[in-house]
Amino acid sequence: MNLYLYLDKDTPIHRMDPRAKLFVLLFSFALPLLNQHPLWVAGAFAVILAYGAAARSLENLRRIRQILFFIFIFSTLVWTFFAKGTDVLIWRVSRQSILYGIGTGLKLDAMIIAGMVFLSTTKNEEISQGLILLGLPYPMAFAFSTALRLVPTFVGAGATIAQAQRSRGLDIDSGSFIERVRKYIPLLVPIFLTAIRSSDGLAMALEGKGFGASTKRTFYLRFKWTARETVVVGLFLALVVANTYLTLTGRTLIRGLMK
Amino acid sequence: MNAVEVQGLSFAYKGSEREAISGVDLAISPGEFVVLMGPSGAGKSTFCLTLNGLIPNFKKGKYSGEVRVFGVPTKKHKVSDLARDIVLVFQDFETQIFSTNVELEVAFGPENFGVDPDEIGRRIHATLKRVRLDGFEARQPATLSGGQKQRLAIASALSIQPRIICMDEPTTDLDPIGKFDVFQVADELSREKNMTMLIVEHETEEALKADRIVLMRDGRIVAEGNARAILASPALLEECSVKPLEVAEFFASLGPGASLDGGELPLTVEEGLSAWERLGLAADRRRLDSLVSEKTRQQQAGYGDPVIEVRNLVHRYENGLEALRGVDLTIRRGEFVAVLGQNGSGKTTLVKHFNGLLAPTGGEVVVNARDTRATSMFELSKTVGYVFQNPDHQIFAQTVFDEVAYGPRLFGVPEGEVKARVVDALEAVGLTGSEEEDPFSLTKGQRQRVAVASVLAAKPEVIILDEPTTGLDYKEQESMMDLIKRLNEMGHTIIIVTHSMWVTAAYAHRAVVLKEGQVVMDGPVRDVFVREKELADVFLKPPQIVRFGARLGLPVLTVDELVACVGREEGARK
Repeated sequence: MNLYLYLDKDTPIHRMDPRAKLFVLLFSFALPLLNQHPLWVAGAFAVILAYGAAARSLENLRRIRQILFFIFIFSTLVWTFFAKGTDVLIWRVSRQSILYGIGTGLKLDAMIIAGMVFLSTTKNEEISQGLILLGLPYPMAFAFSTALRLVPTFVGAGATIAQAQRSRGLDIDSGSFIERVRKYIPLLVPIFLTAIRSSDGLAMALEGKGFGASTKRTFYLRFKWTARETVVVGLFLALVVANTYLTLTGRTLIRGLMK
Repeated sequence: MNAVEVQGLSFAYKGSEREAISGVDLAISPGEFVVLMGPSGAGKSTFCLTLNGLIPNFKKGKYSGEVRVFGVPTKKHKVSDLARDIVLVFQDFETQIFSTNVELEVAFGPENFGVDPDEIGRRIHATLKRVRLDGFEARQPATLSGGQKQRLAIASALSIQPRIICMDEPTTDLDPIGKFDVFQVADELSREKNMTMLIVEHETEEALKADRIVLMRDGRIVAEGNARAILASPALLEECSVKPLEVAEFFASLGPGASLDGGELPLTVEEGLSAWERLGLAADRRRLDSLVSEKTRQQQAGYGDPVIEVRNLVHRYENGLEALRGVDLTIRRGEFVAVLGQNGSGKTTLVKHFNGLLAPTGGEVVVNARDTRATSMFELSKTVGYVFQNPDHQIFAQTVFDEVAYGPRLFGVPEGEVKARVVDALEAVGLTGSEEEDPFSLTKGQRQRVAVASVLAAKPEVIILDEPTTGLDYKEQESMMDLIKRLNEMGHTIIIVTHSMWVTAAYAHRAVVLKEGQVVMDGPVRDVFVREKELADVFLKPPQIVRFGARLGLPVLTVDELVACVGREEGARK
């Protein structure tokens, strides 16, 4: 089972300096967050999708489609009832609260997709290197990228452990809430111990290969900030600035929404 | 100067009274190829960790004596500094490989030492070529086979250009050809690059390539010497829980008088053949045939109706990978089946269909006349028990009793009967009396037994075991397999997934060989193992004694069979 999101493709976006990819990630988080009205959020959504399509990374959408679907439905429903608007349709539901719910659902999905595109186009090593180039000390950058790298490992171990216990007759989906919580113990104990053991192994492997031996570490991957990076990052920056202006002047809000 | 110089070395892990190694003295000269062997718990891994200073710098405990690597005492130096001279390759390649692709994995070491990027590029090229992984630069390590991953781990050690490489059981999880490749690479490095090699290994046939073999037991070195000399002492190896070379074992069993006219004990198939000729040995083919038919009759006497029927089974994973491509298979009650094949050939995917862990994406699997897709896993697991490869993926309880009782309790067995079942299951696995022990304090071999007992207590008709002997030493392997054999004789249908060819030869009735998701060979082990060429195509190699027998035209599976049909009491009977 392969749980890494990274797609080894040769697109201009893959080849970009990791700093540029980090900036794009930051700006593509900002774009949906700046807007309230679902149409505007949808615009930000479209920008992110276009960027992902240019990086030929949208095939990963298939792998996270359930999460996206669930989050969209959940937040739309929740905000439809909890947000308040002037044009009440029925009980707590108003025209504005529906719009707000849809907007929020789209927002969250857009941000998840932005993250997915980033991980699909950026190797772990590039993430840590990008962070270093932005001024983070190497051990911290390495810890960050290793944490990302360990997620799929632990998910994999968790899946194996769940299979092992189900083979012994564990049926997690039945019983009362308390019973179900108790049923997780046979999963959590081995997962926890496996995690400790493999972190220990990883630490030994790292030290054993000279991690931290020399204060001046070199990097095999080399990147250059070229005109391409400036153009892409500049484009996103311009979008963020324009959007900020429109938001401050109230043009991306839902009229009649009461907070 | 010696590459490694160990003097009076003792170490006890923190929190443990027992010394893991005690009073070890050893000197290894530059360019030497040393293989370290011995039973589980002998202190082999501990010894490896002392060489690059992980003990005592990373793993703490009571340390005395000294280890010098090219004159540098490891105790006073940082592990990462020592990595310039000595790099360890661990058994578990999942934790030591952490990069996104192959070339970055190889680059990691030199990057740490501040090597110039252009030079790193050259080293990547050279080391990948050396371990025959050139062309794999951009591949994700997760997509490599086990053997390739282990060779990648070696490459990532080599790129640092150390003078010593130490490998702790590098071939445990590998198929026979994968094992051979790892040793081939190690051998080349020591001969051509004058690199010092220390490898912990269980496989004697591979160890034959070494210059020297060191045997450890109970934390001490019990014997060392020229590889041939050590391997020519089957009794000594057996004492250290190392499986002797089968050809040597055979000739040794002929007795000192009958054997070699002063010649050396033959160790390889070729040497065996010339000794066979020199001694004028002859086999009684009729005797072998009657032995074989008696064995077959006994095995088949226990067979019943089909219990698992697989028809045109296809399994496609979500990512589109087709792991099984039309498998047909019928397993009858009471059979003992070994599923063989290269890493990634679909063995585990296949057997996971038998208890409903995976559902067919095409074709069907019928267990006890019920389609697995229409039956809940809870129901299936009452019929089919599954012992996973790593017992640590399932052990969670605080006592052995609770661990073993877990399954029966889930199935709603009354507490009184649970007790009886646990007692029976623990007796079957030879752990009677350890009900109240903490399963985590047991050895790997014992934990494996707890895992088997916990499946056994649910009284399934069919028991699947994924790699039941991996990570165990020879004696542990033998007793685990004897246990499984007993279960089979008690009427359980046994299905094992294994890389171990001798285990298959000595215990299984039937071998099913998979290649790229299809069954390429299926039949009695004896009939499958004579097809040496076809096996080589799927990266498998029959055990030494089978290859030896084949050259003599004798389809034997074990040393005992060959001894029986050379039959020196033949004359007495006539």
